[in-house]
Amino acid sequence: MGRWRQGLKLPLLLAPAVAISIAMLAPIVVMAVISLQDRFPDATRFTLDAYTGFFTDDYQLRVAWRTLLLGATVTAICLVLAYPVAWFLVFGRSRVAHLVFLAVLAPLLVSIVVRTIGWTVLLGNEGLLNTTLLWLGVVDEPVAFMRSFWSVVTGMVHVLLPFMVLSIVSVLGKIDPSLAEAAGLLGARPGRVFLAVTLPMSVQGIAAGSVIVFCLTIGAYLTPLWLGRGSVAVMALTMRQQVLDLVDWPGGAAAAMVLTLGALVVVGLYGLAVHRFGRR
Amino acid sequence: MPRICLATLGLRLFVAVVVCFLLLPIVIVIPLAFGNDGSLIFPPRGLSLRWFANIFQRPEFLSAFALSAAVALVATTISLVAGSLAAYALARFRFPFRGALEMVFLTPLIFPAIVLGLALSIVLGPLGLLRSFWGLVLAHTILTLPYIIRTLTGTLKELDRSIEEAALVLGANPWRMVSLVLFPLLRPGILAGAIFALIISFDEFTVTLFLVGPRLNTLPIEIFNYVEFNIDPTVAAISTILIGLSTLAVVLIERLVGLARILT
Repeated sequence: MGRWRQGLKLPLLLAPAVAISIAMLAPIVVMAVISLQDRFPDATRFTLDAYTGFFTDDYQLRVAWRTLLLGATVTAICLVLAYPVAWFLVFGRSRVAHLVFLAVLAPLLVSIVVRTIGWTVLLGNEGLLNTTLLWLGVVDEPVAFMRSFWSVVTGMVHVLLPFMVLSIVSVLGKIDPSLAEAAGLLGARPGRVFLAVTLPMSVQGIAAGSVIVFCLTIGAYLTPLWLGRGSVAVMALTMRQQVLDLVDWPGGAAAAMVLTLGALVVVGLYGLAVHRFGRR
Repeated sequence: MPRICLATLGLRLFVAVVVCFLLLPIVIVIPLAFGNDGSLIFPPRGLSLRWFANIFQRPEFLSAFALSAAVALVATTISLVAGSLAAYALARFRFPFRGALEMVFLTPLIFPAIVLGLALSIVLGPLGLLRSFWGLVLAHTILTLPYIIRTLTGTLKELDRSIEEAALVLGANPWRMVSLVLFPLLRPGILAGAIFALIISFDEFTVTLFLVGPRLNTLPIEIFNYVEFNIDPTVAAISTILIGLSTLAVVLIERLVGLARILT
């Protein structure tokens, strides 16, 4: 194909998608500008007040820390649960692997509102879990599973586990099984084969899955709201309050930029991890 | 080799527990929809279809469903056109900043939804698009585009480009090459991307929350609003219908392309 044809076609092919990307990026730039203003609308000057306000407010810092902790906890649990499942799907040679795959996808295909209601039914004071525990005599009165950090973690892990499994499956599927067999034939024990061969080769999938799960967790709104019932404040919740109830747009925008920066740092770490381990 | 067997058994047990964890909160909703109780407590007592009847007595659920479906269809169509053109460019051309551009296109996959919602609500207000159908379409187009681009660049990279070149060399004009050669080969990818985009749009909550208004609510938001004031099995009944629709979608994808091919 001639160079001149590419020169004409390429911008035309890319134009619509670029326009949509601009529609996404422009509002974020506008918000970054607002976070640097003294008030919104009718700003009078540029200032760092919103950021100093954020980093000197104990409550906001506690919420930010909790958000970070939530992201890290959910990511770690997803990883621990997803890796064996992905392993089973790729190497399990099981007749039910297909059905397990469908079950893994199920949460993705069912509305997030449905899933959250399901957890309410399970974890509520009169929920299935409490009824069972009372009936078994394990506890004397209902345990408050809801309204806790861990109920939010449970709900988030349920929402995001499919992303982690899919990420790991996609790299495990590319590993040539004969490599592990060769290592085994050469005398390596199964544990060593895993640590020396399979695990390093799946780092990229682990890293990609972790980035997705972490970023989606810190930006989530519904699950922390509904399963935390107001007692698990994360940045997504306080940010909306700040903007809608307090009408503090610069403050809310600054918090949003801090959250975005957190996500960017994680993506950067991912780039480093892939660079360091991925391309041997 | 008893040790290997034990490991396999352990793995299967672990997988079984995870599968239960994944399915339980979804499946538990279904029996509640058919209960006679006025509350969301398991196990339900009695048997009744009145919660299903209640859905249809509330016009807001039906209009929310219609809005969600309309937004999902329009947004997916726009994403499909923009996304397939961009995917073709990304997969078939070499140009400066190609990798960077691909990253920008995929950003919405991981961008914190709460931030995007907030930012869009600031900008769409002055444009008169806040609390409007087209504002919702714009947001959902942004959110579904990466899924289409990712699926299609994947499919395109697997295709042998010499097939396209052969068609051109043999005298087909570009349109005939696309419609007779490229499109049929890409159909599974297009279909898969479209179904995924529809699901993502239909289920979107956080960004949408900032853009809806009175009399303009998508289904997830309408259910959310209902549950804030009424804890009764109506939502379980809606959920049951949605689970039915999702199952239908899965069966369709499975018949048409195969789920495993789309997602990995």
